[in-house]
Amino acid sequence: MQIAIASGKGGVGKSSVAASLVYLLKDTYKLIAIDADADAPNLDLLFNVEKWEEEKELVGAKVAKINTETCIQCGICAERCPYDCIKFIDGNYVVNELTCEGCGVCRLVCPVEGVITLEEVRSGIIRKTTTKYNFPLISAQLDVGRPNSGKLVTEEKEWAKKIMKEQNLEHMIVDSAAGIGCQVIASLGGADVVILIAEPTPASLSDVKRVYKVVQHFREPAYLIINKADLNPGFRGLHEFAEEEDIPIIGEIPYDRAVPKSMTMLQPVIEAFPQSKASKALKEIARIVEEEILK
Amino acid sequence: MQIAVSGGKGGTGKSTVAINLAIALKEYFDLALADLDVEAPNDHILLNVELQNEEPVNMFMPRFDYSKCIKCRKCAEICEENAIITMKDGTPFLIPTLCSGCRGCEIVCPVPGAILEKQKTMGHTYLTNTVYGFPLITGKLLEGEERAMPIVVAARKRVQKLDNELLLVDTAAGTNNTVSKALENSKLLIAVTEPTPLGLHDLELILKLAELMGIETWIVLNRSSLGNREGVQKVAKEYGVEIVAEIPYSENIIRSYIEGKPIVLSENKEAEVFKELAKKVAEYVG
Ligand code: SF4
Ligand code: SF4
Ligand code: SF4
Ligand code: SF4
Repeated sequence: MQIAIASGKGGVGKSSVAASLVYLLKDTYKLIAIDADADAPNLDLLFNVEKWEEEKELVGAKVAKINTETCIQCGICAERCPYDCIKFIDGNYVVNELTCEGCGVCRLVCPVEGVITLEEVRSGIIRKTTTKYNFPLISAQLDVGRPNSGKLVTEEKEWAKKIMKEQNLEHMIVDSAAGIGCQVIASLGGADVVILIAEPTPASLSDVKRVYKVVQHFREPAYLIINKADLNPGFRGLHEFAEEEDIPIIGEIPYDRAVPKSMTMLQPVIEAFPQSKASKALKEIARIVEEEILK
Repeated sequence: MQIAVSGGKGGTGKSTVAINLAIALKEYFDLALADLDVEAPNDHILLNVELQNEEPVNMFMPRFDYSKCIKCRKCAEICEENAIITMKDGTPFLIPTLCSGCRGCEIVCPVPGAILEKQKTMGHTYLTNTVYGFPLITGKLLEGEERAMPIVVAARKRVQKLDNELLLVDTAAGTNNTVSKALENSKLLIAVTEPTPLGLHDLELILKLAELMGIETWIVLNRSSLGNREGVQKVAKEYGVEIVAEIPYSENIIRSYIEGKPIVLSENKEAEVFKELAKKVAEYVG
């Protein structure tokens, strides 16, 4: 089974909840965890990964390069770049590689053959390890300034599927990227269920509603966990949203200083402070996940 | 002139800093705030205003006129997104979800009129008049659409037309190319982080990006009482940047965040941090 964990935006504690759930399920179920937030991965930090067993560089991103020697400085490329990435700087037309999407339009419109080339660059790295808790983890790190591509996540999932076959694993838990763009779409695609995580603030409600619309495109069943639930007792927005959309709320985790503390200790809260308020709620959630989702 | 607020990962308080700083900077400048976190724009929620003046961001998508198409496959060959597939006989078909709207196919098609234009709305930009005396520009990607870049570009174009004295940009989390697009032309980057190993890891990435882009950077340390300040100081030193402000962990800030009442306007002592920061920025910007 493939379970995706999503929140729409970072900062609501998605990864710390994901890490604790994985931690609680790892002994009963044969699973693999995937960190799909290639722009800011952190599961490896939360599981205290020190070294990677295997790494693959991801090429495939392309950026345009202008040969200033043969460029006749007509400026057509700068005019036609759909993303405004070519600037006239110090007497030359240059591509800003940190914003280029690699679409190739500049090369198509350039009147001089061969001035503009599209060059393959590394877009990031995907890597695999076996955590000290004995389940495999796949993570990715996008290089600075590269397009945030769903391909990275798709590659991670393919790798995970291979490992699942080799090691006879049953479940894939994907900690999905923040936002609602290509990485999230790739994270949610193919999932059997989605667990949404939100905190009781208007901003988080707005984010989770947006990611839920993406979930609906895939027609995947969703569940909701409310994190830092007692932070804003008067706020009913998440409950109303869950009721309207018929999304079961499978747990409310109270705000607990043990959570940030456990993060600085680089451990899931459930491991660092098993008796804390948050851990108790997480244990209950894990039980519901077992009964409702993994049954 | 443009300055930006960013900060590696989500949830470090980037938007809180951006909106409070914007309100405080209004004392000094005629300014506009741009929310370029197009996948999860929240500044309007924190400012407690409804988005106004919606404009669609439309994207080109090819539509083939098969009565004219000569099945030469050129369009499919050049499409970097592999969004066009061709049948055995060369008939092209579009896979709409892959198309980025770059118009490359239209440019290479040798037959005038074989590729027609279909428009698809991928998101919107908004121009909202806030009660704080500055306009807020917001880019918002439609749910189900994959590409954030065109929305960032469109929102930037819209805000540039306003021509304010100072533009404050709030970027998305991370360091991908839509973040660099948002940062482009900034004179100063304010990187918001928290003193945790996760915050530190992401801070390094944003500092790296700023260095590559040649943007002067300051660090604002949020929830400074939480953990490991030394780590942040070390990274700051390594990159030669200064920690210009520290925001202690504060219930008042959380409450203001929840209630949509910017803390800088309150009587709380936390308001001072933002006023001080604004003063520093004003001095720097000149
Ligand atoms: S490849 Fe596309 S995005 Fe990059 S510079 Fe050329 S036209 Fe612009
Ligand atoms: S279109 Fe080609 S020749 Fe003209 S400025 Fe660009 S790179 Fe130079
Ligand atoms: S507009 Fe660009 S991405 Fe879309 S089909 Fe044409 S070449 Fe491909
Ligand atoms: S390039 Fe134009 S003529 Fe050639 S296959 Fe494509 S649409 Fe048809």
